Amino acid sequence: MPAVQETIDQVRQIDVDQYKYGFETNIEMEKAPKGLSEDIIRFISDKKNEPEWMLEWRLDAYRRWLTMEEPGWARVDYPKIDFNDLYYYAAPKNHVGPQSIDDVDPELLRTYEKLGIPLREQEILAGVQTSKIAVDAVFDSVSVVTTFKEELKKAGVIFMSISEAIREYPDLVKKYLGTVVPTTDNYYATLNSAVFTDGSFVYVPKGVRCPMELSTYFRINEKGTGQFERTLIIAEDSAYVSYLEGCTAPQRDENQLHAAVVELIALDDAEIKYSTVQNWYPGDKEGKGGVYNFVTKRGDCRGRNSKISWTQVETGSAITWKYPSCILRGDGSQGEFYSIAVSNGHQQIDSGTKMIHLGKNTSSRIISKGISAGFSSNTYRGQVSAHRKAENARNFTQCDSLLIGDKCGAHTVPYIEAKNATAHFEHEATTSKISEDQLFYCLQRGIPEEAAIALIVNGFVKEVIQELPMEFAVEAQKLIGISLEGSVG
Amino acid sequence: MNMQTGMKLSVAEMALCEAYDHAVGELPGDAAVLTARDGLISEFKAGGLPTRRIEDWHYTDLKALLRTLPDRAPVASAARVEPLVEGSTVLSVENGLVAGDFSLPGVEVRALAETLADGSAAAGLSARNRDDLIGKINGAFVRGGFALDVPAGAALEKPIELQTVQNGGQTHARFPVAFGAGSTATVIERHLALGEGAAFVTTLSDVTLDDNADVTWIILQAQGVTDTHFGQVRIRLGAGSKLRLYVVNAGGKLVRQEVHVEVAGEEADFILRGINLLGGDTHNDLTFTAAHNVPHTTSSEIIRNVVFDRAHGVFQGQICVAQDAQKTDAKMSCNTLLLSDDADFSAKPELEIFADDVQCGHGATVIDIDHTQLFYLMARGIPENRARAMLVNAFVAEIVEELEDEPLVEALEAVIDRWLEKHA
Repeated sequence: MPAVQETIDQVRQIDVDQYKYGFETNIEMEKAPKGLSEDIIRFISDKKNEPEWMLEWRLDAYRRWLTMEEPGWARVDYPKIDFNDLYYYAAPKNHVGPQSIDDVDPELLRTYEKLGIPLREQEILAGVQTSKIAVDAVFDSVSVVTTFKEELKKAGVIFMSISEAIREYPDLVKKYLGTVVPTTDNYYATLNSAVFTDGSFVYVPKGVRCPMELSTYFRINEKGTGQFERTLIIAEDSAYVSYLEGCTAPQRDENQLHAAVVELIALDDAEIKYSTVQNWYPGDKEGKGGVYNFVTKRGDCRGRNSKISWTQVETGSAITWKYPSCILRGDGSQGEFYSIAVSNGHQQIDSGTKMIHLGKNTSSRIISKGISAGFSSNTYRGQVSAHRKAENARNFTQCDSLLIGDKCGAHTVPYIEAKNATAHFEHEATTSKISEDQLFYCLQRGIPEEAAIALIVNGFVKEVIQELPMEFAVEAQKLIGISLEGSVG
Repeated sequence: MNMQTGMKLSVAEMALCEAYDHAVGELPGDAAVLTARDGLISEFKAGGLPTRRIEDWHYTDLKALLRTLPDRAPVASAARVEPLVEGSTVLSVENGLVAGDFSLPGVEVRALAETLADGSAAAGLSARNRDDLIGKINGAFVRGGFALDVPAGAALEKPIELQTVQNGGQTHARFPVAFGAGSTATVIERHLALGEGAAFVTTLSDVTLDDNADVTWIILQAQGVTDTHFGQVRIRLGAGSKLRLYVVNAGGKLVRQEVHVEVAGEEADFILRGINLLGGDTHNDLTFTAAHNVPHTTSSEIIRNVVFDRAHGVFQGQICVAQDAQKTDAKMSCNTLLLSDDADFSAKPELEIFADDVQCGHGATVIDIDHTQLFYLMARGIPENRARAMLVNAFVAEIVEELEDEPLVEALEAVIDRWLEKHA
């Protein structure tokens, strides 16, 4: 059954040529020379005033990276990247690190204003009483400002750029950095370990519920730069934090590389909620330009009864290659993955999740909705595995895809691996499996079946999107109306 | 992607290459066949045995699993056994060789060796792609088998049983079978082992259905606990044709059964039912691909796996729907009963879709026995082990019953019962 007109119209609205964030900021930049070498890594480390161990860590990763091969298994196709033709460091000139908002270059402030990102604390406070959001704004290679730092500090929460954290809390960073995504993990994670320039660091101490939403907004601006961000979030025992990231880039003919690593660590009874609204420049109608988004995101449910939840709304990037994963190590831990991925134009998405059940009584839930239109290719690739000792592991997976037009492709590649007889894994990929009870309820009230299904599916999508603060979710909002009738597994 | 070029060959790889050097002089075939064989063995030498880095072999790392090969010569003689269904015509390959009389009224039957000798089989000796290990090995070494041609409109009342009986050693057999337009038939492909000697058997069936042919094809693999079996079925379906394929695995140590279907004619219907009974130290891999290339076709796959002891089970299924194949209806489900903590099961049900007006779905579950069902039976005085056996049996027998061919259903149920009695 083909998609209904309303859905087609809605997807068209987020088509590649409707990209609104393609403007460029004219600001004087300081750059490292083009190319990648040990000297460049020393330059970055020096710029950031890093301790010696950090430099060694980077160099070690770089040397490993040189021996690795670029992976070719994903269903994406792109010309070979010349890693020596990129700038690995670009920062607004005269930038001295995250500081008070008054010291930030007005041009930068205007940029974020245009993007709709609230950088001024008072504005948010004076505005309608919406929920408060602390923002860390990363512009090319550096964090330009982090808001609400003081207020967070009172609650005991550390929220700052990772460069700052390396200087101010070296012991914390050293203890956790690279413990979820080791430097040797994969080609792009290793590259990131060598050259990462900024990103966010969050530490929520024992028993603290973070008083506000934390967020990072990434912007690639400079031509020919690669952005390599590193995010590390630690929730101590019984802590809770909700974090979201947003990202955009100017419209350019060339492809830009974004290779991030995100590590989440949840200890006993802790919960981390990580949301992403990914809206990198997707390239133009002909598939020219756009961001290559090669990201390694992984959460480690290290403690008992800990929980990590990933929510992502993906509409941007020429190529997306990311699998936010959960390692369910602690007994009773939970992992969740909710994803809406829309591809249009010549976009290519190969994305999904991994749920690795190691501890006893662990459970995971995967809901993935892929919508492909234009000439795009949209692949869900996910792994669910239960190891020998993962007694009573539970997983429920549902992945639906919707095709709009006959020039695009939708693919589903789930890997289901059970090594324990008490594991219960369910994987399904049809819309007909909507809760019978809910459907019955609607039908009984005279709502036709198709409308009822749309209602229920939309209800789910809404639930995901409503959890994202609206300032960041303009695109996401449009998706609310999208139903998945006619969808295929 | 195969990156093993130029790598040192493993013991098993060397053994295969040497076996070829020794065998090639005595293998049947004209110059074209020999060229094809040489080509396939050099492709094998270049790629070696696949590892888990080769996506098609992700869960069956042959470099690790296939360490040694038995000698080419059988341990002792082998003779045909009674057919699975009484009254079937048996065409048997005994220790790799075609034996006895093989006439079949109304069907043209030739020994494969004949078609190799006159070169007519040369075209079929090819690998599907660079990772098609079974195509390479079978094509290089093939010797025994039968080529069948079922004429248009023929309605065969009794089943045809294609049997391989092996008593140790190596056999590489092939069954090209063409069903003419509108013909109907039931074929049972049965692979058995006698004695205790380890055997290495590859079989390849090339099945084509002309327009409106209606065929039931059963593969029953029941080789010995030390045997390696690599089977492949290549299927091409014409317009309006219907194929019901049942794959039952109930034996072997290292087993890979591949089913590749090209749905090439409109209104064609393909049904796959798989029953994998896995126990002991078996590694069993059922790999399936379906290519829906034209509009208005249907396919449905249900795989049921029962895994005991230290067995490893694998199911890989891939449904590809081409851009033009609008109105395709394809469903795939894979259900596993994992009954031991030392066993494991891996499933990869893939969909690859390029048409926008299709209905495709897949489901996969891995569970153990439902405790409420067990409780229900035990509350009625049925001892636990008996109750378990009943539930396991019901889980797989359900799909056999769909066959609606009483003698065949009974025969398959008997195979399942016997196996479960031994393992449950």
